Amino acid sequence: MNNGFELPVLVALPVLFAGICLVLPSAMAVLRFCVAGAVLVAAAAGMVVLAVFRGPQVTAAGNWLRLDALSAYHLVVMMMVFVISAVFAVSYFREEISHGEFEVKRARRYGGLWFGAMAAMMLVLVSNNLGIMWVGIESTTILTAFLICIHTTPGSLEAMWKYLVMCSVGVAAAFTGILLAAASAGPAGMHSADALLWTNMMASASKLDPVLIKAAFIFIVVGYGTKAGLAPMHNWLPDAHSQAPAPVSAIFSGFLLNAALYCIIRFLPIVEAVTGNSGWGREILVFFGLLSVVVAAVFIIGQRDVKRLLAYSSVEHIGLVAAGIGLGGLGSFAALLHMFNHSLCKTVSFCCAGKVGQVYGTHDMKVTTDIIRKVPVWGAGLTVGILVLIGVAPFAVFLSEFIMLKSMVDGGRFWLAGIFLSGLGIVFIGALRHAISMAWKPQADGATAPGKFPLLDAFLVFVPLAVLLALGVWIPSQLSVAISRATAVLGGSL
Amino acid sequence: MNLMIDSILVLLMLAGFLLLTSARLTTCIKIAALQGLMVGLLPVAACGSVLTYRIGAIAMVIACMKGLVFPYLLSRTLRESNTIKELKPYVGYTASIFFGVLSLLASFWLDSRLHLPVAAGSGLVIPVAFSMMMTGIFLIMARRTAVNQVIGYLVMENGIYSFGLAIVRDVPLLVEVGVLMDMFMAVFVMGIAIYRINREFDHMDSDQLNSLKG
Repeated sequence: MNNGFELPVLVALPVLFAGICLVLPSAMAVLRFCVAGAVLVAAAAGMVVLAVFRGPQVTAAGNWLRLDALSAYHLVVMMMVFVISAVFAVSYFREEISHGEFEVKRARRYGGLWFGAMAAMMLVLVSNNLGIMWVGIESTTILTAFLICIHTTPGSLEAMWKYLVMCSVGVAAAFTGILLAAASAGPAGMHSADALLWTNMMASASKLDPVLIKAAFIFIVVGYGTKAGLAPMHNWLPDAHSQAPAPVSAIFSGFLLNAALYCIIRFLPIVEAVTGNSGWGREILVFFGLLSVVVAAVFIIGQRDVKRLLAYSSVEHIGLVAAGIGLGGLGSFAALLHMFNHSLCKTVSFCCAGKVGQVYGTHDMKVTTDIIRKVPVWGAGLTVGILVLIGVAPFAVFLSEFIMLKSMVDGGRFWLAGIFLSGLGIVFIGALRHAISMAWKPQADGATAPGKFPLLDAFLVFVPLAVLLALGVWIPSQLSVAISRATAVLGGSL
Repeated sequence: MNLMIDSILVLLMLAGFLLLTSARLTTCIKIAALQGLMVGLLPVAACGSVLTYRIGAIAMVIACMKGLVFPYLLSRTLRESNTIKELKPYVGYTASIFFGVLSLLASFWLDSRLHLPVAAGSGLVIPVAFSMMMTGIFLIMARRTAVNQVIGYLVMENGIYSFGLAIVRDVPLLVEVGVLMDMFMAVFVMGIAIYRINREFDHMDSDQLNSLKG
């Protein structure tokens, strides 16, 4: 399929919806419209994704827009995160509307920025031009900054400023990398207008200047790595995730980080092809990935705020995905599977943490105890979510981490396996301690009235968790074929 | 035309040094505006006698934005706040000058090691661009006021823009427009952010923004 209209429509739809959000009459209407819009875009995206997995790829606009197996897989994860976040936002903000904290003006701004962020991330995924991809990532920074401080508090303003400055600087560094990549095409004699197209760079990889491509990759890893939350550039992440309203944190953790990581791994095949598959670029990813796991593990132990705990867990899991892709082959397969598992579980966990926080009025884990009894659905969801995230068997996160470990051991890289296991071990113990006290420790005043058990909310929480349970036991062949094809784009053979 | 590029580059360098030593925020904004204006002129100087409409138009847009629009936005936010001076920067002004000199030396050294393909007419472009990027990042880290941090971001962007000019012959128009728009939006959003921080805290020192830790 060439020059179809599907891909431009995928970007245009959220932009249109963002505009509509600005004129809706009530806060509740905006939230409902978010759900409808997200489902609609997800359906459209689903059709395009099916076309990608049936045929080779979908391109449009003279090859400037292109969706292949890797980006289609990311698109599926993205739409999943956005739909869950939209549905949950109705339940989350309903509480705030009843307290008069979420008036129409605020809701319109929320809806507009929310769909705007969706459009920007969509642009990142469908663009074949590295420059346009950059434009998409920078737009997500600009658009999501004010989503953090929908409720203006000193903390949220601080988090927003830190996020804005750190990510702008980081993404600007990534732009230097893109300039270097464009310069590397000089000796290849490419017309400069086409030089930044990913497909062209792949096709003429042997002619690109290896020194410049290597320099470009370093800038790109550090630059986009800031936005992806790889240690040691992750400082903005726990603040932004903890201060943003829960549905926004869910998008941040569930897909914003992945979108930035996607830009790095999109560049990886070019580096590998230019350096003759020496594994130079992969080693860099393994280094930053495992460093993130270790750093996150250290910070998780002493955490008091549950949303910060989940944020550091995101640093850990993004690190795992980066490291897995660095391993290549089976490791890449596991990493992509892990990305799906993490995004699904983290989205649900942030939603649950947000609701629990609403009931208790704080996110301090010393105060939010006995959550399973007091807020049965969200409390149980949060507890199970944390258990899944730290890799309890037989959930899917355990499976993908196990495959990653196998790929390390098979490759004879026992040192890496050691660091990997100790990092995960520390996270396991640290987070489990918090989870147990939150779930079962009785409240200080002793008496906790058992909360209600709303069925609709339960559906929202437990269906994703059930999916994770099922995936841990059995991976449908369609999914494994899709992941294998996405892995093939990354240049690793299974 | 080589003389013109070189004089612009020397002025860019001097502007960087001035920013490192100035305490008054209005002065800082003016210097940043001048630097932006000169960066906008750089492509015109670099293209020599073959001045196309496209190069001219882009130079105009960039010079206007960096030289007029951004400084206007910044001075507007400044007027609505009570901050006049950078009182206690994290790194003092003498130390900042030392950093400026060091970064310039490091830039020339880096340039001599990297052997980048230079598309623009002068060998000075890349070292000056590097030193602007470093100065920008330094300003972001070493200054307390949010306005100065935005100025640091602008200086860094100026550096990246000159760097791109030096090593890439021409970037596709669509990409260029997208990048320009994003940078414009980034500064605009930072302006609104400062305004809101200002309203909440009654000042705009980013060092008060330090309650989130761990």
